[in-house]
Amino acid sequence: MDFFYLLLQLVSAILVAPLFDGISRKLRAKFQSRIGPSVFQTYYDIYKLLKRGRTKSHSTSYIYQISPYLMFITAAAMFCALPITYSTHSVILSQFSDIFVLLYLGALFRFIFIVAGIDTANPFAGVSASREGTIGFYTEEVAVICLIVVMMGTGSSNLPFITSLVQEGTYGYAIPSFSIASTAFLWVMYVETGRKPYDLAEAEQELQEGVLGEFCGKDFAIIDVAILLKQFAVLGFFLVIFMPWRFEHPLLSLIVFLAEVGFLYVMGVFIDNFGPRFTINKGMKRTMLFALSVSCASLVLYIMGI
Amino acid sequence: MQTIYTLFLLTSLLSILLYKKPLLAQKLGFGLACVISLYAAIFFFSNLKETLIWELPGNFISAPVFRLDSLGMLFSFLVSLIAFAVSLYSFEYVKFYEKKANLAVFASLFNAFILSMLLVIASDNVFSFMLLWELMTLISALLILINDGKGAAKNVMIYLGIAQIGAFCLMVALLIMASFAGGFEFSAFDELNIGFGMSMTLFSLLLIGFGSKAGMFPFHVWLPLAYCQSPSNASALMSGVMIKVALFAFIKFSLFLPQFVQFGYILLFFGALSCVFGIIYALISNDYKASIAYSSCENVGIIFLGLGGAFYGLGTNSPMIALLGFIAALFHILNHAIFKSLLFMLSGNVYTATKTRDMDALGGLHKKMPITSIIFFIAALSICALPPLNGFASEWVIYKTMVTGGIEEGVVSRFFFALAIIALSITGAMAIMAFSKIYGAIFLGIARDTKSIEEAKEVSFMMLLPLGLLASFCVGIGIFMNDVVGILSKIVLTLIPQTNVSTYGFISMPIILMVMFLCAILPFVFLYLLKANNKEVRITDPWACGFLYNKSMQIGSNAFTGDIRKALSFILKYESEIKLDGYFSKAVYTHKTHDFFWDKLYEPVIHSIMLIADKIGIFQNGRTNLYAGYILIYLCLILIFGYYYI
Repeated sequence: MDFFYLLLQLVSAILVAPLFDGISRKLRAKFQSRIGPSVFQTYYDIYKLLKRGRTKSHSTSYIYQISPYLMFITAAAMFCALPITYSTHSVILSQFSDIFVLLYLGALFRFIFIVAGIDTANPFAGVSASREGTIGFYTEEVAVICLIVVMMGTGSSNLPFITSLVQEGTYGYAIPSFSIASTAFLWVMYVETGRKPYDLAEAEQELQEGVLGEFCGKDFAIIDVAILLKQFAVLGFFLVIFMPWRFEHPLLSLIVFLAEVGFLYVMGVFIDNFGPRFTINKGMKRTMLFALSVSCASLVLYIMGI
Repeated sequence: MQTIYTLFLLTSLLSILLYKKPLLAQKLGFGLACVISLYAAIFFFSNLKETLIWELPGNFISAPVFRLDSLGMLFSFLVSLIAFAVSLYSFEYVKFYEKKANLAVFASLFNAFILSMLLVIASDNVFSFMLLWELMTLISALLILINDGKGAAKNVMIYLGIAQIGAFCLMVALLIMASFAGGFEFSAFDELNIGFGMSMTLFSLLLIGFGSKAGMFPFHVWLPLAYCQSPSNASALMSGVMIKVALFAFIKFSLFLPQFVQFGYILLFFGALSCVFGIIYALISNDYKASIAYSSCENVGIIFLGLGGAFYGLGTNSPMIALLGFIAALFHILNHAIFKSLLFMLSGNVYTATKTRDMDALGGLHKKMPITSIIFFIAALSICALPPLNGFASEWVIYKTMVTGGIEEGVVSRFFFALAIIALSITGAMAIMAFSKIYGAIFLGIARDTKSIEEAKEVSFMMLLPLGLLASFCVGIGIFMNDVVGILSKIVLTLIPQTNVSTYGFISMPIILMVMFLCAILPFVFLYLLKANNKEVRITDPWACGFLYNKSMQIGSNAFTGDIRKALSFILKYESEIKLDGYFSKAVYTHKTHDFFWDKLYEPVIHSIMLIADKIGIFQNGRTNLYAGYILIYLCLILIFGYYYI
């Protein structure tokens, strides 16, 4: 039964994610005084990609062939690690849903992303792969500092356990270090979704997404879905720790969760659309230093026992 | 166990006796080493819970006794397991060094090296320990010298120099401990009655002594020099198990001291420094073997983090943290031994095929060496601690220790555990970058220098067999992590009794794997339902924005880390030079990264020692009458001294 709901959680996310992407694209177009694509455009895109033929670079090896599937598997496993349709009662799945499992699945995604980029021998893919790694270097520690506060505060790295504690109110916003950590963590998770000023999905040659420059056809469709899932998973990571709205019935909590995550995703447009673009080091230094200092502040508060 | 030691000794002697027939000696030496170490691995593993004692027959100074308890058994098992894989690999690999060195000597040294490590683990008094410890260092230095060449002597001297600093600290520490214990036997060392200051001093001496051998920061400078110089099978043994022997001895001796909570803090601090600096240098290096060597420093740091948790637990008398910490450290020691020796052997494969260690010249090797490449992929995944492989399993236990340690009240402990987690996470992010770079630059893309991979071909089955074995250990230990933790916790319980163990709250790797399999089905279902286009893939040049594609458009290993290097410019000294002569001629780029600590810490010391040695050198000028004068002066001084003081 656990696994049935887990599958449902995953499949519904895959089905719904393109809709929210479409909404955010529409909204962005409105901001830029364009009519913009239909809200279902992302579905059309994926469908069209599935029907297209493929070309590949002569340099590619097995990594090119398996990387779309590996990316999908890791992104999907990341999403499954979010305790939405299951809780501490599920003995099996609570051995899986763990903060470090989620973080290191994210790292696995990044590893495959980089390796796939280098494999294509495309000049832009290489540069983007390097940037992907650099962004990981900047974001990882901020995310972990925030999570240290939560994990040491609750005494566990088990996600369902943390979720239930926060929801019951035994641990939560009454504690200053927790609430400060939440702001920094939300920022990092936004960075991890790979949007401007850190990335721009439409400008493939210059940014992170350049890794995918050589992918096409169904491979690219799978990667698109995987990236959407990863974005949902990292936003959901924030939600399950800092805003757990769970209900008795798994379906209800699933629907509420999807609505929440979709809302966050669409709201990202407000940063995305109005934020400037930087070169990678400058942008990272300007924006991440602030998040880093916020997270350090929350850690200091925790260490002092507040 | 005496049989195993004797057999290794006999094999070593036999190989050296056959020095006139190196090929025969090589077959016999490595073949026998392989068989004996397999037997030894099985023997030590099956006796994991026993304690064995063996007294050397005959009249020796201080009657050496060899004793193996549970922990010693575990480390002996580890040494023999890795020795088995490495000797199986060496059987073919050493032919590469046929013209460079006498293979009989190589085989003999190889066996003697394994023997010396096993004996260091088993030795039970100060005399035999120090003797065997130095012997181990010397044999490893000779193994490095097998690959003679430019700069070899200097590299070996640096290695020996740092090893001697360590050995000196060790000698002092052990002699002080012996004088407190009133005997040179380690069994007399239990429950030393010493105060805080003394035990702190002893602990620092032990840490310097063993840390320098283990490649702990700031003693990491010898790692890239020694490992790059030595043949790959020797570096696999040195990095895989020799530094583990140092860690074993560190655990053994520091448990004799009365425990204080500060031990834990020291270890956490140096562990954090080691792993961050180790991985930074691994990341920016352009030489794949140096990268792998630096990552040893990183992993030793991670192990020290686990040990730091353990000693903190002992100091504050919280057995759960101590237990978790020791399990984490031993687990990571086991894993690091496996994947690091695997990586060194793989780098040996790459080097024998391409004859270059420069990542900027390689690329596209997967097409020539597919199996080596896939095994390298697995090893890289597990050293980056990615699920579901073994590196992740042990790092998870370390994280668990850190989180459990940080819960308790107290500003200092919270600070150090938070520091440890942050260091570990930065290390994780950079390890991803470092190893994806190494894997990508060597095996993927197109060869940057086509000459280098022209003659490359896959190595023989005999060489791939041990690599495959170790790779399957990487996967297997990852999946069955809870069973391994169970075995390790039984061993740890012999070190710290009065604790009960529970694996409650551990993750379960099979479930992670199951969920991943479940997720793996989905894309295929979608592709099938939506009737994806499955036509054959057309092959083209990579897209270069409309320009004609050229293989040098690929990203180089140097450019790959450009942004990080800029961001870390405050601790990395980096020089790059562009030489341009004329508009149409080729530009020459040279780049060099300095080891900050080599420049700031070692260079001045070496320089001043050289200067002093130079000045002292005046006295040694070969004139006999001056030497007679020295003796005269010395005699006069002795007479004056004797007259006044005795």
